[in-house]
Amino acid sequence: MDEPRRAALQAWLPSGVEIGAMTLMSGGAIQQNWRMDVTVSGVAESWVLRMDSAATLTHSRPRGEEFALLQAAFASGVAVPEPLFLCTDPGVIGSAFFVMRCVAGVASAHRLVRSDTLGGGRTALTAALGRQLGLIHAIRPGRDGLGFLAPHPEMTPGLRFVAEMRGHLDRAGQVRPILEWGLRHLERHAPPRGDVVLCHNDFRTGNIMVDDHGVTGVLDWEFAAWGDPHEDLGWLCAKCWRFGCAHEVGGIGPRQVLYDAYAAQSGRAVDDAQVRFWEIAATIRWAVIALSQAQRHLSGAEPSLELALTGHIVPELELDVMRATS
Amino acid sequence: MEQPDAAALLAVALDTLRQEVIPQLQGDVRFKALMVANAMAIALRASSVAAPDLPEAVQLAAAIRAGHHDDDAVLAARLRAHAEARCQVSAPKAM
Repeated sequence: MDEPRRAALQAWLPSGVEIGAMTLMSGGAIQQNWRMDVTVSGVAESWVLRMDSAATLTHSRPRGEEFALLQAAFASGVAVPEPLFLCTDPGVIGSAFFVMRCVAGVASAHRLVRSDTLGGGRTALTAALGRQLGLIHAIRPGRDGLGFLAPHPEMTPGLRFVAEMRGHLDRAGQVRPILEWGLRHLERHAPPRGDVVLCHNDFRTGNIMVDDHGVTGVLDWEFAAWGDPHEDLGWLCAKCWRFGCAHEVGGIGPRQVLYDAYAAQSGRAVDDAQVRFWEIAATIRWAVIALSQAQRHLSGAEPSLELALTGHIVPELELDVMRATS
Repeated sequence: MEQPDAAALLAVALDTLRQEVIPQLQGDVRFKALMVANAMAIALRASSVAAPDLPEAVQLAAAIRAGHHDDDAVLAARLRAHAEARCQVSAPKAM
């Protein structure tokens, strides 16, 4: 971070806080995360500052809403970094940002799926993931501070998903017969309405930080919305988020362990057929996102090797859709 | 055109990258070099196969959405073959 922005940040923070070293962590395509070593009244702490990158997805959530979601999750006992400060004024460092406490651990999907010990071992970690989802899903409509979340629509979550994805494809001018095939399959097999809960909507290996004992941080809340509990379970179990490992829960552990831990925490039985429905949905959703990421490179808006390669994920996702539906 | 041709150049460059360059790298630079190798490998495979085509994709997509192909096993097999042909270029490990 350059000196003028750093000075503006220092001036904005409460008195008693002194910024030390600031380093850009491995940021995503959507956000930048800066690690901040600070002292608070002389005591050393580690914080993370999160701000937008140059280009953002159209459905990216304002930082203030992501901050409110972190507050709700923290209050519910979900393992999230404690949210500290929010600045919605883009004039201070160039875009809105918030500051949260740094949590220690490993989020790297490739390390996680290859480790038999991280998070306390595969079975313990899989159970911990089920409990975390159960805690998240205890947040229900009407919760203070989450009024910005769109009210749950009349359509069942499955049919709403189909309509949303068709809308994305149409607006992007994408002609994708295989994704259409998958969406039509979902339309014909959409489950009835169940409980309405807060869905994280990106709860997967790679967005969950762990240490040797368990989950230390559920990250990336920007897609959270009211929905069906099975949406998050399906996203977590989808083949595209197993990172080449056979274990069905995010490349980490066995499915039944997840289901049992989730049911024990939430008091809600898991319907395996509905999880499988949302696994197909997850594959299609990731394909639609991947197409839009590739388009950011193709359009010249944001030339990037990573975005360009994301386009080449789509054929495998389409093959997964056909394998699951025919 | 001079020899070696585009595909042969890509192949030898990719071998050099993988065997002599990437093992020397660490961290973010290594990750980026692996992405470069991945991109070159896709380009190399693409240079040796005909681009798979799905005729009348626009009409087909609309007809599928309208429910005109529900339970159409012949179409499902065609769509699957189309995905497999593109995986041969983009993600051969998926096969």
